[in-house]
Amino acid sequence: MARFLIRRLVLLVAVLFAVTFLGFSAMNFLGDPLFNVVGLMAELDCEAIEAGSAEDTSLDRARSDCETVAEARATYHLDRPVPVRYLLWVGDMFTGDFGTSFQNDQPVAEIIREKLPETLILLVMAQIVSLGVAIPWGVIAAYRANRAFDRGSTVASFGLLSIPNFALGVVLLYLLSLRWQIFPSAYESDSVVGLVFSMVLPAATLGLPLAASYQRLLRTDLITTLQEDFVHMARAKGLPPMRIMFRHALRPSLFSVVTVFGVSTGAMIGGSLVVEQIFGIPGIGREIVTAVVRDDFPVVLAIVMLVACTFVVINFVVDLFYSWLDPRVRAR
Amino acid sequence: MSPDGRPSRKGRASRQRLLRRFRVFRLVRSSKGPESDGPGEDEAVRRRLGVGFWLAVVWLVVMAFIALFAPMLPFADPTKVGYSGPREPPSADAWFGTDALGRDVFSRTMYGARISLAVGGFAIVFGMVVGGALGILAGYFRGRLDQAVGFAFFVLLSFPALVLAILITATLKRSLLVVSLTIGILAVAPVGLLARASTLVYAEREFVAAARVLGARNGRIIVRELLPNVVIPMGALTLLGMAVAVVAEGSLAFLGLSVAGDEAISWGKMIVDGAGLRDLQNATHVAMFPVVVMFVTVLALNFAGDRIRQYFDVKELAF
Amino acid sequence: MAPDQTTAAPVPLLSVRDLHVRFPTERGTVNAVNGVSFDLYEGKTLAIVGESGSGKSVTAKTLMNLLPRTARVSGEVTYDGRDVRALAAEKVKHFFGVQMTMVFQDPMTSLNPVKKVGEQIAETLRYHLGRSRSEALEEAVELLDVVGMPEPARRVSQYPHELSGGLRQRVVIAMALACQPRLLIADEPTTAVDVTVQKHLLDLLDELRRNRGMSMILITHDLGVAHGRADDVAVMYAGRVVETADARTLFFDMRHPYTEALLRSIPRIDDPVHHRLDPIPGRPPELIDPPDECAFAPRCIYAQSDCLGGVPELSGLVGLHRFACLHPTGTERGMAAMSSNRAAGATAAGLPVTGSGGGSG
Repeated sequence: MARFLIRRLVLLVAVLFAVTFLGFSAMNFLGDPLFNVVGLMAELDCEAIEAGSAEDTSLDRARSDCETVAEARATYHLDRPVPVRYLLWVGDMFTGDFGTSFQNDQPVAEIIREKLPETLILLVMAQIVSLGVAIPWGVIAAYRANRAFDRGSTVASFGLLSIPNFALGVVLLYLLSLRWQIFPSAYESDSVVGLVFSMVLPAATLGLPLAASYQRLLRTDLITTLQEDFVHMARAKGLPPMRIMFRHALRPSLFSVVTVFGVSTGAMIGGSLVVEQIFGIPGIGREIVTAVVRDDFPVVLAIVMLVACTFVVINFVVDLFYSWLDPRVRAR
Repeated sequence: MSPDGRPSRKGRASRQRLLRRFRVFRLVRSSKGPESDGPGEDEAVRRRLGVGFWLAVVWLVVMAFIALFAPMLPFADPTKVGYSGPREPPSADAWFGTDALGRDVFSRTMYGARISLAVGGFAIVFGMVVGGALGILAGYFRGRLDQAVGFAFFVLLSFPALVLAILITATLKRSLLVVSLTIGILAVAPVGLLARASTLVYAEREFVAAARVLGARNGRIIVRELLPNVVIPMGALTLLGMAVAVVAEGSLAFLGLSVAGDEAISWGKMIVDGAGLRDLQNATHVAMFPVVVMFVTVLALNFAGDRIRQYFDVKELAF
Repeated sequence: MAPDQTTAAPVPLLSVRDLHVRFPTERGTVNAVNGVSFDLYEGKTLAIVGESGSGKSVTAKTLMNLLPRTARVSGEVTYDGRDVRALAAEKVKHFFGVQMTMVFQDPMTSLNPVKKVGEQIAETLRYHLGRSRSEALEEAVELLDVVGMPEPARRVSQYPHELSGGLRQRVVIAMALACQPRLLIADEPTTAVDVTVQKHLLDLLDELRRNRGMSMILITHDLGVAHGRADDVAVMYAGRVVETADARTLFFDMRHPYTEALLRSIPRIDDPVHHRLDPIPGRPPELIDPPDECAFAPRCIYAQSDCLGGVPELSGLVGLHRFACLHPTGTERGMAAMSSNRAAGATAAGLPVTGSGGGSG
């Protein structure tokens, strides 16, 4: 177990570095970082301007612009090679300095602190929705495999898996909020109840397609498990079917679901960008889209890193979760 | 009940567990062999493609035809503002009604197929060429190369897909090529893992060993012996991959981060245009027609793809 | 077998009449069990012996209501005067596991890999007998002690994968015994464990049965396992009982050629050192669309043309020595059949017969 943990931790650190470095270099190589910081000023030919006559007052503005550019170069270490810049950036991250938004000079750390809770609530609720729907759904489908309910649910899950997040969001918004007015159409934060209630539709938008995929996996694994000898044994012990289902068959059948839990969280983080947009939730997802549109480089970089690292860590935790699910994994 | 089939070595075991995580969660029927309740049925399903499959194919062919020849077909100009009054309901003149700017929604929806299918098709081809090549090489040569490629795939998969896409499209000009490439990059790692896995299976089969004994060079073995066998499972998953790519493009477009410009009509963009509360309330058709067409297209891709996957009996899908 | 005057009630504990089990499959209907009947009295052991595919395990699963839903079952199964299939259909609580229970072949797979063995034993006690968690765990320790598990108090908190096959099977037995069942069905209980512990386990089962006055159905492919442990033996072939008798009669005065062949195919302690074992020629029969003939005929050295003319009926009444053979071994008809086959060099079904192959009945 200890060796297993150490190996996984080493890999975790390696992947975190690789992910952040990839993200950092993408931002630096694909675009012109100087342009991202100072905008059109980056186009100025500062050397020529410096070389120009000091008396030429028409160049004053340009000179002050050039100072800004030089300052930006210094602040963002733009005169250093990318790997060095990366290390400096990582150092800053470790000291809690995530940079400052170009847009309103707000520290990025503050922005994240403000917006993160909304996104977390959304993601947690979405996972609750998906598991809450998928487990009973999968259990019933497997228990009555190939009967009417199971066949119907195959069609339903196929449909759910084929509808893009944003389309589902728009449809749910239209039907449940505008047409039948069951749920509010906009984000509310006046009270906890109101907040949770207004998050139901967004969470369902993210959670339902996921529930469909969980359901399919769980159903297949359950059907396999239900043919195992130990399930026969449990039946021979005279335990009632639902008890066998939940106490004996469910846990060993959760492998695939747990396996994709990590990946699905990634898909959900992606989905949350869209869903926060539709339902007007002031979360990280909306923030990053806004930042991208406004070329707010530090915000984009910080959020991408945060999200990628979270995703890596979640997958790491999921891996550890295996050993709870199946004690045999520990022995390996 | 050992899901990874009792690997022989410890290192392999832990890596397999890592890779297993990226097994698909979309549409995977089974990772542990065929569903064994109703043995007869599954068999029959696999042998026949069925009516549903052909319906899906017809829809896809029609959409592809429209996408290719849209400018030559008698559609209204999709970018013409004020083709009719704004937000008019469907009529004989404008089948899907008009949007907030009075543009013909039907014509726009048809034109929307162009970007969606172009991006979807290009992305999956890119993924198959790059990912497939890397996967085959890694799976054939093993060793250092395999480790490096495996780590690269792992890192690529460590980004939530849409976030990675945003990272790229945020920094570059959003042209059709850039968007296609971006989504293509997303496809590299999953396709690569699949290719690597199939290569591992075939590389140990007798016919490869036989070729080696007969003195065939690596290049020849890869192209003549492995490639055909690896292309089949990859090919069987093309349509499923395309469905994922179409949705990804739609999501980018919905966020305003897909191909830029008024000329570039995309379903995602149309849906977000019609998804404002007032539009949704009073002119539902603006958002709903593209939603329906997109849904049916993705459904057709998924359905036909799933049938093909079953037909070729490809059990695992690594998206 | 006549009811024992001193211990057994005149009514059998378990009575099976004309049991048929069919599985519809893609290739046709599998006739897994074809008209099996037997009685089991309180405190007795019935051994059901046969090759794989003979329907013995399916019979056991039918008794325990463990067949998949697709199975078509007909016939009567009565336990202590109650219709077992009706009990199962009504989902009567506390019957299976309390009255009758089962031990499976493979202890590797019949324990839940993700639950501690103590929990798995305690579970039955808690559900059926309403014990508290701690009471049940204590009882689990006692039960493990009873089945000869070393260090039972430590074992309860171990997972199955931490135990050897033999120990696991002891856990399974402890689990089955938890609620003091009156009938235990043991389906090849030792096939999957090490040869060295097989005898230990069999003796343990036998001893436990005796001490607790249980009845037992012992299912095995090995007549040697049945020897000395069973009161009655039923030999199954192709889904039918082909011979049944009390153990003594069956071992020393068998009538069916298949029983004889089975006995010849196992080594015996009193065999001379280099004694040649006679394997049974040919393969087990098809269970899909079986031809209307004695199923054993193609492999039987006694086979005559009338053997191919229809399935022979089981002779006699339930409880007596019964066999389904037209040319029983150890009878004059059998002798005659054998010698005519020898003379012809082949049986009526075309199996070559050499002079040395048969032997006297």
